[in-house]
Amino acid sequence: MSITAEQAAGLAAKSRSGVTEVEAYGNKLGLWSMWVAFAALALGLPMGLFQAAERSGFFPGIENTAVYFASTSTHGVLLAFVLTTFFAMGWGHHTLAHVLKKKPFFGWTSFWVALTGTVIAAVPLLTGYASVLYTFYPPEMGHPAFYLGATLLVVGSWFWVADMIIGMTQWRKENPGKPVPLVAFMHVMTALLWGWTSMGVASEAVFQLLPMAFGISATIDPGLARTLFSWTLHAIVYFWLMPAYIAMYMIVSKEAGGKLFSDEFARIAFVMLFIFSVPIGFHHLYVDPMQAAGWKLLHMFGTIMVAVPTFLTGFTVLASMEIAGRLRGGKGLFGWIGALDWGNPLVLAGGLSLLMLTAGGWGGVLNAAYTWDVMVHNTQWITGHFHLIFGGTTVIMYLAAAYWLWPRITGNALFSRKLAVTQLWLYFIGMVTLTAPWHVLGLVGQPRRVSSTPYDAFPELVASWSVYEALMIVGGVILVISGFMFIYNLLMTHFNKVPAADTKVEYAVAIHEPMRVPNILNSLSFWNWAMLAYMIVSYGYPILQFAFIGTPGSIRWGT
Amino acid sequence: MTPEEEKKVLASSPVGTWVVMATYGVIFVVTWLAMYGLFLSRGPVH
Repeated sequence: MSITAEQAAGLAAKSRSGVTEVEAYGNKLGLWSMWVAFAALALGLPMGLFQAAERSGFFPGIENTAVYFASTSTHGVLLAFVLTTFFAMGWGHHTLAHVLKKKPFFGWTSFWVALTGTVIAAVPLLTGYASVLYTFYPPEMGHPAFYLGATLLVVGSWFWVADMIIGMTQWRKENPGKPVPLVAFMHVMTALLWGWTSMGVASEAVFQLLPMAFGISATIDPGLARTLFSWTLHAIVYFWLMPAYIAMYMIVSKEAGGKLFSDEFARIAFVMLFIFSVPIGFHHLYVDPMQAAGWKLLHMFGTIMVAVPTFLTGFTVLASMEIAGRLRGGKGLFGWIGALDWGNPLVLAGGLSLLMLTAGGWGGVLNAAYTWDVMVHNTQWITGHFHLIFGGTTVIMYLAAAYWLWPRITGNALFSRKLAVTQLWLYFIGMVTLTAPWHVLGLVGQPRRVSSTPYDAFPELVASWSVYEALMIVGGVILVISGFMFIYNLLMTHFNKVPAADTKVEYAVAIHEPMRVPNILNSLSFWNWAMLAYMIVSYGYPILQFAFIGTPGSIRWGT
Repeated sequence: MTPEEEKKVLASSPVGTWVVMATYGVIFVVTWLAMYGLFLSRGPVH
């Protein structure tokens, strides 16, 4: 199924006058990165269904704790790390080539290092030697190959981060005073966010997990490990979300038939997402004893602040859709909604994603509060929440973006728009059917991170969960069907003999395209310094304390 | 749609979006408080 750069260029030339060498490079790199991403989705989705079925207790024949945790760990790594990283890298490199007209400096190096890491990590995951969930909290330990592979995946992604920063820096030098194209600015901010936030998990891997796994260190401090992982654990959600937001701002607005409501709003939202999403990870540690309440309070306020750019994004995307609806003849306060082309996969996915964001975002602000989190922290509410935000809001936009990108990358027409629309509806229905009962189960007390719920002393309680468990399985089945419809449509598009009618890579433009934007919204240096200062304030002492006072019962870091 | 009408749409305020966002904001706050009232009054989970 591999194609050469010449073939990639030739395919594209079928329906347009030709692509430049740089664009052909971006097409090929983008295509294969995103194929890796969606292969991870295809492998991970059935595992999720298996977990819902296994945990329900309806099928004693498939109950197996070891297989459950191997499956859960693989599912989490494939979807939360592999799908997201390769999708962001692929689309980012594609944007670098097509929008900034820059050939990625590292390009394939990032792809191959990340892919090698993925394969190395996959072996212990699939064979049950790394059943440590995707958070791999010590003192649970997996096979060294898992940590080595995960580290290589992150290192590979750092080459992409460097590519994005180098590309934007070069472009700015060549275009002094001009605003960096919005879509490129957004991708670069996403890469920058990942660069900053992945340092936490990388430190944990290099200084704690790898030495322990390879037997160099005899002990590990779980408190420090959890603190370092929290550095990554929340902003990673925004690393997942930002490409979805880019699709909303830059593709949905255009496909809806209108213009982007505001270029500046979009830049402000992305800068805020960058600055507020990293130094707030302690809301994952609310019930952990090693960090004091004052630090948790600081992180709680930061967490709630992230609602601001999320609201700004919701407003700007919705306003852009309203403009499109009015340009299509929609009248009155809400007539524009009916006037939109809901048969367009991008418009439909944008609407469904926003709907899921309204519910998931609300749950997120609930979770941000210490008192609420204490109540639901170890329950299925949390798993329901992050599946709605990530699996729902985020991934549905990845799928829709792929429907838009594939014809532009391969030069082939989308195999079936009708299939795409049906698939997206099914995905939405499946995700809601899966996650709504999941939230309820959490509220009625079902714990998370368990492979079964054998609470023999409370048979009535366990019996009352059955209907929700059954609904979750139904949701999982719908999601798996939808996922395979997506892969089928993408494969058929890849090999479609019909050339695409439109292969221009053109993103939405704002109603008032800015001739200039404030330097602060067009460069990275100020935000890097701001992030450094905020990180020192929010993580400096909480990390250094482990060197001073350690964690009771453990050997101090570095000794 | 004539160019004048198009210009008018592009210059207009997205009132429908304002209403949707304001309604959502109210529902957001009210249900957020309701969840607190409903569940936190039972005390922390042990």
